[in-house]
Amino acid sequence: MTSIEHAREDLAARLAAIPGATEIAERRDSLWMSAPELDVAAMAREMNALGYRLGAMTGVAGEDGEITVIYHYSRPPLAINIKTRTRGGALPSVALIARPASWAERELHDFFAVRFPGHPNLAPLLRPPQLTDGFFRDAATGVAAPAE
Amino acid sequence: MPFTIPIGPFHPALEEAYKVRVRCAAETVEQVNVTVGFCCRGIELLAQRRNWVQAVTLIERVCGICSNVHTTTLCRAIEIVAGIEVPARAVYIRTIMCELERIHSHLLWAGLAAEYMGFRTLYMEVFTLRERIMDLLERMSGNRVHYGMNRIGGVNRDIAEPARVIEDVEAIRAAIEKQLVPAFLHNPTVTSRMAGVGILSREQAIEWGVVGPVARASGVDTDIRSDFSHGAYSDLGFRIVTRPEGDVQARVVVRALELLESVRLVTEALRRLPLGPLCAFEGVPVIPPGEAIARAEAPRGEVIYYVASDGGECPARVKIRTPSFVNIPALEAMTVGQQLGNVPLIQASVDPCISCTDR
Repeated sequence: MTSIEHAREDLAARLAAIPGATEIAERRDSLWMSAPELDVAAMAREMNALGYRLGAMTGVAGEDGEITVIYHYSRPPLAINIKTRTRGGALPSVALIARPASWAERELHDFFAVRFPGHPNLAPLLRPPQLTDGFFRDAATGVAAPAE
Repeated sequence: MPFTIPIGPFHPALEEAYKVRVRCAAETVEQVNVTVGFCCRGIELLAQRRNWVQAVTLIERVCGICSNVHTTTLCRAIEIVAGIEVPARAVYIRTIMCELERIHSHLLWAGLAAEYMGFRTLYMEVFTLRERIMDLLERMSGNRVHYGMNRIGGVNRDIAEPARVIEDVEAIRAAIEKQLVPAFLHNPTVTSRMAGVGILSREQAIEWGVVGPVARASGVDTDIRSDFSHGAYSDLGFRIVTRPEGDVQARVVVRALELLESVRLVTEALRRLPLGPLCAFEGVPVIPPGEAIARAEAPRGEVIYYVASDGGECPARVKIRTPSFVNIPALEAMTVGQQLGNVPLIQASVDPCISCTDR
């Protein structure tokens, strides 16, 4: 077994223990996990422990008003993208576990109105003042965020 | 008694709009708060309202300095979704353009850094060098800012006279070695102004998730060209430049030495430029349903593109994570405890791009 295969197996085994985790799929670009019910705080702690760096968070609007949130992690030569879904328009913040999540979550709040309970300062980051939170989601789907 | 100074959004050190609120006790910075978002253009959303070909043109406008790496990375993500194999000659031309763009970006930054520290002679020399790279890019692409070189599946233009480009780049290398590197490494005007200023330790660099020259200047040996080798880098070999000090001077030195590595990569790629077509196909691309992520090393660090397709003629989602988006927040760690007078220089040392950050 190569060192990359070993690292991949180690990652899969460690993530499998997190509530809501699913199997890792290997694609042409990187590794992917789709886990709608994932415990994101536990995932972020585990990724820190494994030495993975959170590079970005992507939001993708769904037609039910919920947002798919993708956490893009990397630890060369491996990269993994972990997909989950908001629950009632919210996901627990991981900003206090992984610093790069702070601005990423503020951006997701601006663009998709995702609420991140536990974020130390979920103030607007990029949203122009004349627009409301979630202007990307509204433009993409026309579906409002679930009520708080 | 502590006092707060707002710096920006019209900035003393940068032409772009962002704001830093600095709380000081006497001359020592106690707290820093960065505000961005003055120029959010909603480019990700606009990209979802353009067809795939138009989206490439739009994405080139994310940045006026590293425009080429944005389209390179977007095209790579789209090509992964569509399973398109880019011809080798196009891969090499993309790599050459990315490295020339890096030389341009680093020279632009080096000139501005010289200006900020009051070293106008060096500023003039560096900007003269930068002009030569701009002229070269214009000759190769027809444009000075948005080169329009990339298309889905390959590139739009060939490099007509590789030997002449090598001559020009070698002349620029000589000037970098003779003027720029000695000045930034050894000139007392530079070292006395930058050494020990704005330190970001290796542990802080990892904690804040900084990328590119900022990370490498703090001893973190990360570079997408080697971490996730793509383009022609695996053929050409690649030498990562790091420094352990983590201060402003280390960020300067990393960029200065990276200029030489970029020159080597350009020269080597031009010498080995494979024969063959410039694009994998003719006509308008059809992108099947799917999603992919692509990374590249922009001049300021890792850029990430996520692209999703629903099989339609427009992207279903384009997400852009620029290097400045993760480097700018770390200003807090670099600035607290520093002298107020050093704040503009520390900010400039990150080479922040607000156009990229705000998108």
